[in-house]
Amino acid sequence: MCVKWVASASDLLVDPATRTIDAGRAHRAISEYDRNTVEAARVVAGHVGGDLVGLTFGGPEATPALKEVLARGADRAIHVVAPQGARIDGHVTAHALAAQIGRIGDVGLVLCTEGASDTYAHETGPRVGELLGWPVVTNVRELGVEGTTLHAVRVLGDVLETVECELPAVVTVVPEIGPAPIPGLKALLGAGRKPSEQVPVGDLGLPDHALMPRTTVTSLLGFVAQRKRIRIADGDAREKVAALMSGLAQEGVL
Amino acid sequence: MSRAIVFSEVPQLVAELVTTAARVADEVHVVALGQPSAASLDGVASVALLTADAARPESFVAAIAARVAAIDADVVLVGATVTGWEVAARVATVLGVGLVSEATALRRVPGAGWQAERVVYAGGAVQTESWSGLAVVTVTAGFAPAARDVGGAAPVQVVPVEVDARVRVVSRSVRPHEGVDLAHATRVVCVGMGLGSVDDLAIARGLAEALDAEVACTRPVAEDREWLPTERYIGISGVSVRPDLYLGLGVSGQVQHTVGIREAAVVVGINTDPNAPLFGVCDYAVVGDLHEIAPMLTEAIRAVRSGGAVESAAS
Repeated sequence: MCVKWVASASDLLVDPATRTIDAGRAHRAISEYDRNTVEAARVVAGHVGGDLVGLTFGGPEATPALKEVLARGADRAIHVVAPQGARIDGHVTAHALAAQIGRIGDVGLVLCTEGASDTYAHETGPRVGELLGWPVVTNVRELGVEGTTLHAVRVLGDVLETVECELPAVVTVVPEIGPAPIPGLKALLGAGRKPSEQVPVGDLGLPDHALMPRTTVTSLLGFVAQRKRIRIADGDAREKVAALMSGLAQEGVL
Repeated sequence: MSRAIVFSEVPQLVAELVTTAARVADEVHVVALGQPSAASLDGVASVALLTADAARPESFVAAIAARVAAIDADVVLVGATVTGWEVAARVATVLGVGLVSEATALRRVPGAGWQAERVVYAGGAVQTESWSGLAVVTVTAGFAPAARDVGGAAPVQVVPVEVDARVRVVSRSVRPHEGVDLAHATRVVCVGMGLGSVDDLAIARGLAEALDAEVACTRPVAEDREWLPTERYIGISGVSVRPDLYLGLGVSGQVQHTVGIREAAVVVGINTDPNAPLFGVCDYAVVGDLHEIAPMLTEAIRAVRSGGAVESAAS
């Protein structure tokens, strides 16, 4: 299964005047909903008696993602390493992941999260499936494998669509796929003893066009909410309620 | 002469995409499944009606990509639905081009290709992406008004195609839901993980009743605690609301949630944690215990709405 190493959105510091973003001190981890996906992948792999391989693509800073997916149940983990500061878009990411999946061999099922918590572009899973030439099933909330057949329930707005296809396949899942248990101390310690590997993206034998991004991020500006930020912290509960009621009456929303 | 291709499995979205496409390209060509009704829309130059034995829209990826190449399009606009997200990403891959997901702005830059903006970090930031040459862009419903049906008669070409039948639909069912329409609610009372127990939902319901509000929640309340149905959670993977008043009880205010309340007119937070992130993006930050304050607030609102005056804060 594929995970993305991301900065926590809630830790981004936005300069209210210039709207520039300082992500330097933001906590980094695998994308929030990837945790549900790892667990779902662990359950499926256990059911079919397969190995679960955690896979990530990114700069050298993404290496800690390996330990996190191993602690969450992957049997081994691979980091396809992009050069420091390399420009990466969905096109490049999909080529790197698909090429590495091809090198692993005997892969029956690839799981990705429907979207990553930073970009949420709904892009990587379908792109990887298309490059591998495998069927793609997106936005899945229930998943099962019987023999070589995948059964899945997709969420399409108000409609639940039950589909099936033969493996190998690429599936993207939504957080409703299941819980994301917090790894215990034993799992965290055990993660260090599981195999993990770093593969420079240049070793994948990809042609130049596969590693040439198609889109370039030319600006990233923080969103600053235009709010009054009136703080009601003084006095007892009755006084706070009175202060709030006074404000709401002025707003005309009572 | 620039050309845009438009695709969506949703007719209303096709009409909206035609408007967006006409703003950035000289010619608008529609790829349709099922019905050629887009031929009568204002600004449509042609409709390619892809036909195959019963198939899912996702099965037409190769045929859509072939149509884009045949038209020699400059940009492909796809409706941002679950189906559209997949179709867009796979068509972009077949063509070896870029994808911009859920653009909030799209423009041609004379002599310098294209630019689009999109929201990232769960609403915390806006990213501008640039490219030259062809790209696929998904656009959400409501981005532009629907093109008018002017009774036009753009040429319709019926194109029988081979489809990818590897994914088979076994059944479809409508998700059971209460019919709540949070997206259009004028007042919303939202509970977060600060709510002590499921029984305390009565506090939120009482307040909501006094305000004629809908009860909503954050994702963990619905997904992890299962105290409320998932259709009531607000946030990046849930509902976006735009009420006159949003009142958050014990809502910490993670960006995954607050992205869904950006369009609320007035935001109130009640939380014991003075550093709750919600307090940074709200109009009224009440530092205190919701279990104590919300019932008092309910009584005060009932009193006012039954004809009483608002008690002065200083009294």
